Amino acid sequence: MGTLATRLVPALAVAAAFALRASASQQPRPPAGAPGADLHLLPVQGSVSMLAGAGANITLQIGKDGVLLVDTPPAALVPQMLAEIQKLSDRPIRYLVNTSLDAEHTGGNAALIGPAAARGTGGAPFGTLGLNRPAIVAHENVLNRLSASQPPTSAAALPTTTYFLPSMDFSFNGEPVVILHAPRAHTDGDSIVWFRRSDVLAVGDLVRLDRYPDIDLARGGSVDGLIAALDRIVEITVPERLQDGGTRVVVGHGRLCNEADIVEYRDMVAIIRDRVADLVKKGQTLEQVKAARPSRDYDTRYGPGDAVTEAIYRSLSEKRGAA
Amino acid sequence: MARSGVRRPAPLCRLVLFARFAAALLLAGAAPAAAQVDFSGQWAPVYHEDNPERIPGPELADYTGLPLNEAARLQADSWDADRISVVSPYQCRPHSSDYGMRGLGNLRVWAELDANQQLLAFHTYMPAWGSERTIWMDGRPHPPDYAEYTFQGFSTGVWEGNMLTITTTHLKTNYYRRNGVPASDRRTVVEHWTRHSEFLTVITVVTDPVFLTEPLVRSQNWFNDVGQALPSFNCEYAAELPGAQKVPNHLPGTNPYLAEFADWYGLELAATRGGAETMYPEYRLKMGAPHSKPPDRCQRYCTCSGGFGCNVTPPPAR
Amino acid sequence: MRARAVVTAAWLSAAATLVAQGPPGAPPGPPRSPRAAAPVDFTGYWVSVIAEDWRWRMVTPLKGDAASIPITPEARKLVEAWDPAKDEAAGVQCKAYGAAGVMRLPGRVHITWQDDTTLKLETDAGTQTRLFRFGGTPAANEPPSWQGSSVAQWERPPQTPGAPPTLPIFATRIGTRGRALEVTTTHLRPGYLRKNGVPYGDQVSLSEYFDYFKEPNGDEWFTVTTVVRDPQYLNGPFITSSDFKKEPDGSKWRPTPCTAL
Repeated sequence: MGTLATRLVPALAVAAAFALRASASQQPRPPAGAPGADLHLLPVQGSVSMLAGAGANITLQIGKDGVLLVDTPPAALVPQMLAEIQKLSDRPIRYLVNTSLDAEHTGGNAALIGPAAARGTGGAPFGTLGLNRPAIVAHENVLNRLSASQPPTSAAALPTTTYFLPSMDFSFNGEPVVILHAPRAHTDGDSIVWFRRSDVLAVGDLVRLDRYPDIDLARGGSVDGLIAALDRIVEITVPERLQDGGTRVVVGHGRLCNEADIVEYRDMVAIIRDRVADLVKKGQTLEQVKAARPSRDYDTRYGPGDAVTEAIYRSLSEKRGAA
Repeated sequence: MARSGVRRPAPLCRLVLFARFAAALLLAGAAPAAAQVDFSGQWAPVYHEDNPERIPGPELADYTGLPLNEAARLQADSWDADRISVVSPYQCRPHSSDYGMRGLGNLRVWAELDANQQLLAFHTYMPAWGSERTIWMDGRPHPPDYAEYTFQGFSTGVWEGNMLTITTTHLKTNYYRRNGVPASDRRTVVEHWTRHSEFLTVITVVTDPVFLTEPLVRSQNWFNDVGQALPSFNCEYAAELPGAQKVPNHLPGTNPYLAEFADWYGLELAATRGGAETMYPEYRLKMGAPHSKPPDRCQRYCTCSGGFGCNVTPPPAR
Repeated sequence: MRARAVVTAAWLSAAATLVAQGPPGAPPGPPRSPRAAAPVDFTGYWVSVIAEDWRWRMVTPLKGDAASIPITPEARKLVEAWDPAKDEAAGVQCKAYGAAGVMRLPGRVHITWQDDTTLKLETDAGTQTRLFRFGGTPAANEPPSWQGSSVAQWERPPQTPGAPPTLPIFATRIGTRGRALEVTTTHLRPGYLRKNGVPYGDQVSLSEYFDYFKEPNGDEWFTVTTVVRDPQYLNGPFITSSDFKKEPDGSKWRPTPCTAL
């Protein structure tokens, strides 16, 4: 039997620990993507995992050859991301593929260079790079736009390997990695990354489940291009059994998806497009079209529809003007 | 001491050991374990409510009894049945676990026990789309929101007396009725399962902040059919309508079928549009006249009682 | 060894006593009244929420519409011959408000304890009263009525009918925490399962199971699963389940007379 002190002190320590934990759990958590936000690693399929909580989803392919990332979080979250990757692998990040030029998908590019990453040699076979950096792969239009951006983009963040044909591919970690261009979709530089053996697609902001798609006309996006890209994703994906499982899709924002989710999303975009197209054909102005609220049955799910209505209107009007 | 070197207990001690074992069993049985019912078995669905809707299929624009909001109504009005054919993935899309309780619901339930004979999960199988579901009974938490959603969702159950209360989240988009009334991926489903004699009753309570203004409560029944055997289900897609509109839909205000349900059954048009108000008795005080002169008698789906014994003769043209 | 045997005997005795007593917490002493023993509280005002069979319940369906009900050819003849004006003239406009059909009608019910062994259920639709008597059986010569004679019990653990008794030494029993109200009703006057004249006859019997549940948002409900057996007019049991939501008071209670249409 110990003294009262020897029995009381551990009990008090435990009680204090619980109090601290309870106190910590009551602190408001930073929103997704903000410094200090929780990052969550979700194994997807094969060699591929998803990192959620960084604002935009990040895809990781990990194996004997190293790590391939699809997109990066904001620079402030790169150390946290590296810590999560470290739980799975201590091999270097050899490739970083950007699905578009959006800041929330490229913000951490530069932070992966040098001591912050210190992860060994860069990518091959396309890279002729120095040490301590991955090859940054993206469509040529991403490089062109980032190079011309104001304020200027740091050179360290720019793609080092680009493609201008419909696709490019290479093998990494024992599987083909196919990068498909989605022309004039969310932007004119969107890429779909297809891990063929793992049967996973990373599609960036071609799909986002937290709100309507962003059809960025100023950077070459279009509604018909977006629908064509979504059609392509539906074509590639194969459900395992009766629309469940099978090819997984890591989307730009939101939960892990499969074909059925992409079909619903594609249908939503197509139906709103059809409604706007009908009003454009009737000669209605943008304000009249917005007043008709063609997205109102989807607003309760995806939020206010004015921005997507306007983007679709302008996209269709541009097309009519060009025709 | 026995020759083998092992001491065998004396007869009295063996009796004491046996008695202790028996006592332990008795005490275990008397301990306050959670009350349980065994739902295991083969269950055949009873379609004595809404048979025409659940078997042949609902009439277009029949939204009666559903607490829909305007968003749900517009989506349903926009729905074109060709979508199931043209958008080929829909050909094999299963019922979600909540609608599955309304549909072709032949059901097999079995219990999974752990090494201590404690209930770990109930499993269900419905041959309609070969849907398998697990209802976890071990207190595990639901996955985070960024995890994958499925058509069966993620289900956990707790006992309330003899009633099993099941909570299901992570459900994909589906439908409340097979005429386009949508069910969102933001819905949560609570079920209450009870067994009385040879009958199973499943009460489903769906809360959907996207499409419903209040919870949708419906109840379905099965009877225990020991002779039932359930087949597997296979489905392949087939392109059916070449050249059709990519995603068939009716533009707002253009669906020509929205009044035929009211006309066929002599109903007020507003009532057929659904809404929570129409589900309560006082609605009868404000219900207006039928949309058109009602037929003198039933002309459509007058005799549905079994599986497929419905008359579907179209009514004469008006 | 002898000491251990004495201790073990005491342990066995205690265990057997516990088993005999049933679930822990059951107080000893005289049996409680059904009212005192009620595992859930069904009293209060409840509104039927019509989310199913809407066009057969919220409005009087078209003549000849017997969809979903497994009626016999004999019943079909009566369905085709339904005449609400005749029913009114004959003073039988309450045919659709009998026990086998009244719980399907849109309306409210008010449940109270008439005494410690009788639960009273009143309906504002048709201003009907049902009495659920715990214990006993109805008299054989009790005259038939719209609501018949109802015998109630709180749900008992399941037991295979006719099964031999077993020694509960390597098994325990499930279903000891039943909360449902079970009601059996006989001695019913012929009536209607639906307002458009789908009939039940004088051989009908009714089994009902009332299940209470509460939702996370605080709403209280009960669902009554109704099993109607009528060898004359039904091809097998007719099973429906009707859902009622609790209301805070009787401010919406609105008794109305029976009508044939």
